[in-house]
Amino acid sequence: MLLFLQSLINGILLGGIYASYSAGFSLIFGVMGVINIFHGEMVMLGAFLTYWLFTLFHIDPFLTLPLSFFLLFVFGYLVQRFVIHRVVEAPPMISYILTFGIHLIIAYSALWVWTADFRAVTTSYSGLNATIGGVIIPYARLATFGLALIVVAGLYFLLKKTETGRAIQAAAQDKEMARLMGVNITRTYALTFGIGAAVTGVAGSLISTYFIIFPQMGLSYTIMAFCVVVLGGMGYIPGTLWGGLILGVVQSLIATYLNAGLSGALTFILLFIVLIVRPAGIAGKGIVD
Amino acid sequence: MKKSKIDKPILEGKHLTKNFGALVAVHGVDFSVEQGEILGLIGPNGAGKSTLFNILMGVYVPDEGEVVFKGRTVSGLPPHKICRMGMAKTSQIVQSFKEMTVLENVLVGGLHGKNLRLREATQEAEEILEFVGLGRVKGAISGSITVPDRRRLELARVLATGAEVILLDENMAGLNPAEVEEVLKLLMEVRNQGKTLVVVEHIMQAVMGISDRLIVLNYGEKIAEGTPAEIADHRKVIEAYLGEKHASHRPN
Amino acid sequence: MTLLPITICLLIVPLAGFSGYLVRLLAMIFLWVGKAGCWNILSGMTGYIDFGAVGYYGIGSYATALLMSKAHAPFLVSVLVSGLVSALIALPIGLPTLRLRGAYFGIATLAFAEAMKQIILEFDKTAGVRFFEGPHGITLPIGPGNEFFYYFGFGVMVVVIAMTYWIRRSKFGYALRAVREAEQAAELAGVDTLSAKVKAYMISAFFLGLIGGIETYWLTYITPHMVFDVLITIQMVVMSLLGGMGTVFGPAVGASFLTVLYELFHRDFPYTYTILVGFIIVVVVLLMPKGIVGTLRKR
Repeated sequence: MLLFLQSLINGILLGGIYASYSAGFSLIFGVMGVINIFHGEMVMLGAFLTYWLFTLFHIDPFLTLPLSFFLLFVFGYLVQRFVIHRVVEAPPMISYILTFGIHLIIAYSALWVWTADFRAVTTSYSGLNATIGGVIIPYARLATFGLALIVVAGLYFLLKKTETGRAIQAAAQDKEMARLMGVNITRTYALTFGIGAAVTGVAGSLISTYFIIFPQMGLSYTIMAFCVVVLGGMGYIPGTLWGGLILGVVQSLIATYLNAGLSGALTFILLFIVLIVRPAGIAGKGIVD
Repeated sequence: MKKSKIDKPILEGKHLTKNFGALVAVHGVDFSVEQGEILGLIGPNGAGKSTLFNILMGVYVPDEGEVVFKGRTVSGLPPHKICRMGMAKTSQIVQSFKEMTVLENVLVGGLHGKNLRLREATQEAEEILEFVGLGRVKGAISGSITVPDRRRLELARVLATGAEVILLDENMAGLNPAEVEEVLKLLMEVRNQGKTLVVVEHIMQAVMGISDRLIVLNYGEKIAEGTPAEIADHRKVIEAYLGEKHASHRPN
Repeated sequence: MTLLPITICLLIVPLAGFSGYLVRLLAMIFLWVGKAGCWNILSGMTGYIDFGAVGYYGIGSYATALLMSKAHAPFLVSVLVSGLVSALIALPIGLPTLRLRGAYFGIATLAFAEAMKQIILEFDKTAGVRFFEGPHGITLPIGPGNEFFYYFGFGVMVVVIAMTYWIRRSKFGYALRAVREAEQAAELAGVDTLSAKVKAYMISAFFLGLIGGIETYWLTYITPHMVFDVLITIQMVVMSLLGGMGTVFGPAVGASFLTVLYELFHRDFPYTYTILVGFIIVVVVLLMPKGIVGTLRKR
């Protein structure tokens, strides 16, 4: 029983981690229909930013979060504004070939500059856990779970309650109409991408505190984000929580009771099935092209 | 071309209903079209006309009801099968194969809609292009021709599929009155060749003038049916259009 | 026709005493042209960007490896069977995935290739057999020299290019192009879009499986990580993109260019090669979306 609970809690925390770095992906796709293949690189960049700040200047990871947010925001804004925006009108396959090219550039430049070594951020409190009834809950992961909730709630609030958010939603639903109503589409898209990048970067920063990081880590994060968002519903922000949780729990249980290697294969098979059977995601609220 | 039995309509919609989530696009629509008729389908924007066309062509599966074409139930069949059976449609937003030439666009219809071999399809395509007046641009890239020409191209492609029933979804939108006249003449000739037309148009003079009968939709339901004269005076139809810029015209 | 003298020259190269390195390089180029050409038949012509093409290459590789090492089947039979196996697997995979749009298709195919890799990796453990050795690798009997693969590669390349040429001008080709330009309009015009897509997918899978078999024999030792490597798909994508998606000779141009680039950089600067590929992609997409052949044709 304890094993089951531990596995379940692990899965839930893992799910929170998944959700925290997938929300940005969902936002970007939901608003401008771009499948961002270099999404994982933003996780990686956030992670490495925190790593270097910690390793070189001994700044606590949690203190690096605002900087991570800001820098990744600027990065996302600029890349969208000057590169991706040129193909926003083109068929979707063009944008994901483009983002794929950008993925290659960022990931392999990082590999070149930082080498393939695995790294980790180990603080004085890294291994600390809470123990409730025999179940171990690492603080760092709990913090990320909290972050996931904050991010999803924050994005939801931003989209529904603020002027900027409404502009973003308008642009998402009907670009031409929004333009006619005075929404600056170019700026809105860039802003959205920036926010998506920033949120993802922060998730990456936190991830560096308990996962091993390395320059090529991005692609697997991108694929996982895609799985989470397909499950939860593309473009439906609250869905990333569900998608993340389901994936996290399923993977954790399979790894505990079957075989860790299988959880990889089964994730892909699950993704495959969901795409065929229910492309709008579990709650059916996702955008289906 | 085979004529269907005189007592049976060539196309029927029986109690067609289609919802999109909470939105009722089409509700309980019954209609029938006789072979060789020109049926006009009118109604305010959002009345469900395009949705109805998409149901007829198999793009949507109706939630209730069925589509009967040439005596066979076709609701649920994929669009290409319905096309090969003899029904084809133009789209509200013109869709052409932009990178292909005008001739090649029409070719696709002949090759796959009518299942011809390459040589026969090419020959027929050239004849059809002459018929609709696009012979002079047959070698042009279709993305580069004018909008009125692109609409004719869609019509040409539809004709190439050998369609007996042609659904025209606002095929004349954006044309000036002279261009509309030309298209109307073309459509009359098409009908004289034995085809059946169902026409959705907002240009009242055009659709009133050319239709044998009209069906009026509003909020997804059929609210009136009759000859142009009857429809023009119909109370419900006038009400439906109140607030729209259109006034219903008397047919000439 | 400049093709004829080029063909004759290429046929003579191995016999004319050129360095073994050139023979090997050209053979590699031929096989890459073949692979990129396969990818082009589906993705270039229909616009459905397949990110899992390496899956069929890997299936073919393992099929040939198993047939030749365990069943001692002859080479020709093995590669043909490998092609068939790939094509047969492509049918149940293609039917559902080719109904998906754009990006979803891309990720579904990627998931398929990754799943195939994982399945082979887990095979021994799950099925309780000792099929593979070491890291799930297979060793084949040592084969003939580079010239054998040179001519085989050349042959496959010619077949793939010829297929592309023939398809483009056929009824089938019009269906594929219509799917790429305006899929719904194609359906409405009578094109059985699903059937056309699946056929292209299966043809592509067949030849990818076949080429996988050929290269396996050449390599003599394979592991799942080698033959299900997503970078192989990436190469195919970029070669077709650079050369011109949907064109007959685009993959040949792209494959030649990138293989040479790879040979120049990969040993000493592995990361530089990939960064360059990334830049090529960005530049082509932003400035030259029709690729080299496609852009030249417009003039």
